[in-house]
Amino acid sequence: MEIGLAHYLVVAAILFTTGVLGLFLNRKNVIIIMMSLELMLLAVNINLVAFSAYLQDMVGQVFTMFVLTVAAAEAAIGLAIVVIFFRNRGTIAVEEISQMKG
Amino acid sequence: MIVQALVFYMFAAIAVAGGVMVISARNPVHSVLFLILVFFNAAGLFLLLGAEFLAMVLVVVYVGAVAVLFLFVVMMLDINYLKLREGFLQYLPTGALVGLVLLVELGLVLGSWVFAPEAPAQLAAPTPADLTNTEALGQIVYTQYVYLFQAAGLILLVAMVGTILLTLRARDGVRRQNISRQISRTREESVEIRKVPTRGGI
Amino acid sequence: MDGLLLEYLPILIFIGIAVVVAGAAVAASYIAARQRPDSEKTSAYECGFDAFDDARSKFEVRFYLVAILFIIFDLEVAFLFPWAVSLGEVGMFGFWSMMVFLGVLTIGFIYEWKKGALEWE
Repeated sequence: MEIGLAHYLVVAAILFTTGVLGLFLNRKNVIIIMMSLELMLLAVNINLVAFSAYLQDMVGQVFTMFVLTVAAAEAAIGLAIVVIFFRNRGTIAVEEISQMKG
Repeated sequence: MIVQALVFYMFAAIAVAGGVMVISARNPVHSVLFLILVFFNAAGLFLLLGAEFLAMVLVVVYVGAVAVLFLFVVMMLDINYLKLREGFLQYLPTGALVGLVLLVELGLVLGSWVFAPEAPAQLAAPTPADLTNTEALGQIVYTQYVYLFQAAGLILLVAMVGTILLTLRARDGVRRQNISRQISRTREESVEIRKVPTRGGI
Repeated sequence: MDGLLLEYLPILIFIGIAVVVAGAAVAASYIAARQRPDSEKTSAYECGFDAFDDARSKFEVRFYLVAILFIIFDLEVAFLFPWAVSLGEVGMFGFWSMMVFLGVLTIGFIYEWKKGALEWE
C-alpha cells in the first residue's frame, strides 16, 4: 500500500492526457480549451512537486510557484483577448479566428 | 500509513474524474465548477507530498481567483454554448486516438525510467530537515532564484498592463467627478449677476 | 512527514463530517419529501410572471477588470508570505530583492490608477 513516486506520476500523466483530449474534443469553445490548458499545467505541477518531494530538493517547488504565476498571467490575458474578441465579432468559435490567415 | 494511501486514492480518483468532467460537461459553468474540484484535490495531493505552502497557494490563487475569472467570462458572454459543442462526437475518434497514443507513450516512459546514479549528489537546493515548508521556500526564492523571482514580477506587470490595455476603453458621454476642478472653482467663474428688467426676461 | 500529515488529520475528519452531514441533508429531503413535480412547480419563479428571459445576461466588463487586478495582487501577496517568514535568514539581499519586486508591481499599480481602471463612474 506504500504510495510511491510512480503513483503521483500516473495521476499526472492521466490528467495531462485528459487535458490534451479536451483540446481535441472542444475544438470550438475557446474557454474550455483554456481550461484544458490549466489542467495540463496542473499535471506538470504535480510532477514537479512529486519529484521535489522524493528527491528532497526544493527547486521543484520553487519552479512550481513560477509555473503558477505564469499560468495565472496567461489565463488573465487569454480571457481578456476572448472578451474583446467577443465584443468585436460576437462569437468565440475558434474557426472564426482566422483574420490573420494570409 | 493505510489512511495516507486511502486519502491519496480518494484525491487522485476525484481529481481524474473531475478532469474528465471538465472536458465533457455540457454546460461550461459546470466545467468551471469541476475545474475547481480538480484544483482542490490537487491541493490535497500537494499536502500529501509535504508541499503545504503550494497547496494553500493553489487553493487561494486558483480556486479563489483564476476559477472565478473563468466563471466571470463564461457568464459574461451570453453565447449559445450548445452550438459550440457541435462536432464534439466528430472529433472524438481523432482525440481519443491522440490521447491513447500519448498515454501509452507516457506509460512506456513511466515503466522504464530510473534515477541516474549521480542524481542525489546533484541536488540544487536540498530540503532543510528542520524547517517548515514555507521557511524552506523563503530561504531560496529571494536569494538563490532571484532572477526567476524578478521575472515573475515582470510577468505580473505585463499581465496587468496588458489586460488594462485590452479591456479598458474610455467611453464618452460619461460624466466623471473631477474633485480638484470642483474645489478650485471660484466665485467669479461660476456666478454671474445680472440686472433683470421687470417683465423683460433675459 | 507523518508528523506533518498528522496535523492535518482534524481537517480530514472535518471534511468527512461535512460530506456526511451535507449528503444526509440532501438524501433526507429526497427520501422524506413527496416528489410529485409538474411543470408549474419546477419552472423558475419570477413573482408569478412567466420568466422573461434567460437568467444569464451580459454584464459590465469592468467587473472582469477588477477580478484580474485582484489575481495579480493575490499572487503578489502569495510571494510575500515566505518572505515574511524567512526575512531573518535571507538578509539584506532578500529584503531588497522583494523591494524591487514590489516596486515593479507598484509601477503597474500607478499605471492602472492613472488610466482610471479603478474608477467606477
